[in-house]
Amino acid sequence: MASHMVPLERLDTWRWRIPRDEQRGMRVDGIVFADDRLMGRLRDDPALEQVANVAALPGIVGESLAMPDVHWGYGFPVGGVAATLADDGVISPGGIGFDINCGVRLLRTDLRRDDVSRVAARLADELFRAVPTGVGARTGARLAPRDLDRVLEQGAAWPVARGLGSHEDLDLTEERGTLAAADAAAVSLRAKQRGADQLGTLGSGNHFLEVQAVDRVLDVAAARVLGLDVGRVVVLIHCGSRGLGHQVCTDHLAIMDRSAARHGIHLPDRQLACAPLRTPEADAYLAAMAAAANFAWANRQVIAHDVRQAFGRLFGPHEAAAMGLVYDVSHNIAKFERHVVDGREMEVCVHRKGATRAFPAGHPDVPARYRSVGQPVLIPGDMGRYSFVAVGTDGAMARAFGSTCHGAGRDLSRHAAVRQLRGTDVAAALAREGIVVRAQRPDLLAEEATVAYKDVAVVVDVAAGAGLIRPVARLRPLVVVKG
Amino acid sequence: MERQAGSSHRQLPHTADVGFEACAPSLPAVFEEAARALAEIAAETTGTVGSPVETGPLRAHDLEGLAFAWLNELIALADAQGCVLVGATVSHLAPVADGWTLEGRATLVPYESPGIRTLRQVKAVTLHRLAVDRGPAGFTLTAYADI
Repeated sequence: MASHMVPLERLDTWRWRIPRDEQRGMRVDGIVFADDRLMGRLRDDPALEQVANVAALPGIVGESLAMPDVHWGYGFPVGGVAATLADDGVISPGGIGFDINCGVRLLRTDLRRDDVSRVAARLADELFRAVPTGVGARTGARLAPRDLDRVLEQGAAWPVARGLGSHEDLDLTEERGTLAAADAAAVSLRAKQRGADQLGTLGSGNHFLEVQAVDRVLDVAAARVLGLDVGRVVVLIHCGSRGLGHQVCTDHLAIMDRSAARHGIHLPDRQLACAPLRTPEADAYLAAMAAAANFAWANRQVIAHDVRQAFGRLFGPHEAAAMGLVYDVSHNIAKFERHVVDGREMEVCVHRKGATRAFPAGHPDVPARYRSVGQPVLIPGDMGRYSFVAVGTDGAMARAFGSTCHGAGRDLSRHAAVRQLRGTDVAAALAREGIVVRAQRPDLLAEEATVAYKDVAVVVDVAAGAGLIRPVARLRPLVVVKG
Repeated sequence: MERQAGSSHRQLPHTADVGFEACAPSLPAVFEEAARALAEIAAETTGTVGSPVETGPLRAHDLEGLAFAWLNELIALADAQGCVLVGATVSHLAPVADGWTLEGRATLVPYESPGIRTLRQVKAVTLHRLAVDRGPAGFTLTAYADI
């Protein structure tokens, strides 16, 4: 697992530089956001080599960035951010990943912690029944081809138009839950076959549905704007574009792997396969990626509806109706944005692979409701400790193309976690903390146990120290549903 | 799915995902062994008899590209049909003018069948560190899967 050692220079308490090395093919420096606590384990992690590899992408500007939760991925590190020139750069599907628009959505309830604690087991059962989870999770109903095409082009607006949510949900979703560049015709039949009966399913692995309570407010003014106060119950949903998105990435990686040499592109890792923007290969991928992103937003919208229905059955329809969306953010996506690079504003294609957009107060892409405080940033931790809500900052715009971390980041491999722990013991330990868990298989609980992840509080501390976010609230889990 | 003598595989650690290394005396056998490794990442199967499904003729400009196409074809066939991959056979693997071609068959079992214990959703096999190497004892195929 050890990578070739990558030279590191410390810039300040929160940042390290991987100097540009032409022999490695690096076109820009790498920047790693980490303090001593995070860098200790990271030094031997192949993620640093991946940061250097990403710096070899044609047309990359600024730096190849690693967020504080960075860890070894494939091609890009998980927690990697790179911006390429819109006119003269490339798009790399590996910089978005297989689970296109994997992301998180936070729902706010009018319930208090005690309301949920006394019925937590029943709520867990309701949610586990309401939302299909696990390997191969399906809804039992296949979308008709015409409806699936509409989902791919309309995103979250498609379920909302069918009563599965409100227009306010769209207002509070990144990009209002729809990328206009989507073209259903750009998505392969195979991808559509995989996705047709997966809309409204959670999946497995690190995807989850958690009922949490705000246990600490860190920024009173911002928390008020986001509607969060101590004791309030919220629901965090983490999932993506399911098999449809996986297939879109697979299809276009194969195309770009073949075409890269024709475009004169040579890369240190084939998973970084890419195509120059404004070529047919790039246009086809971007249209399909946008369609898969729309599928993911629709997926989280449908799941949110099912969660509201489950709460309604237990607490009454008035509580379901009161469950407003705080925000929905994407972790795996590429978007054209305007940023200042070397003192000049330019349009760039920002790849975020396991990273969250973190636009500051006043940015026009931040919903009007939050424009005074900044875009909400949702940072899940592990299922035994806590998650955080933060807001984006000017520092994120200046230093990270408006980006920040997306979670805690894994510390242990799945194998190592399973070797150390038994799933039943993990469930028992969670129960002792008052956390009710439902999972399709106990082994998964070992893979996803607290010790398998970095302490998200440290990650958030570094992101805040580096000026990428302003923490707003800390959330504690009450009910965990895993695939 | 008779296993060729001298074939084996092992899983490789990865922080977030899972890797594997398959070894076999011949190229078709190492592609079959890699399918076996992939199947074991996704599920445990005992006493199950699956249904064979033809893979389309696959082409790639090199063996790594062919491995990427083969393994992802198996993942996609299983996911699209709501099935678990049990294994696969290669009926034809040969060089062609512009690279390599492969024809084979996946063996799939529905998720809800008895004797199936699903483990992980394999999203895809990646190109990261994907390698097909020839050594004194045969061939080795190394791959990392996104979980």
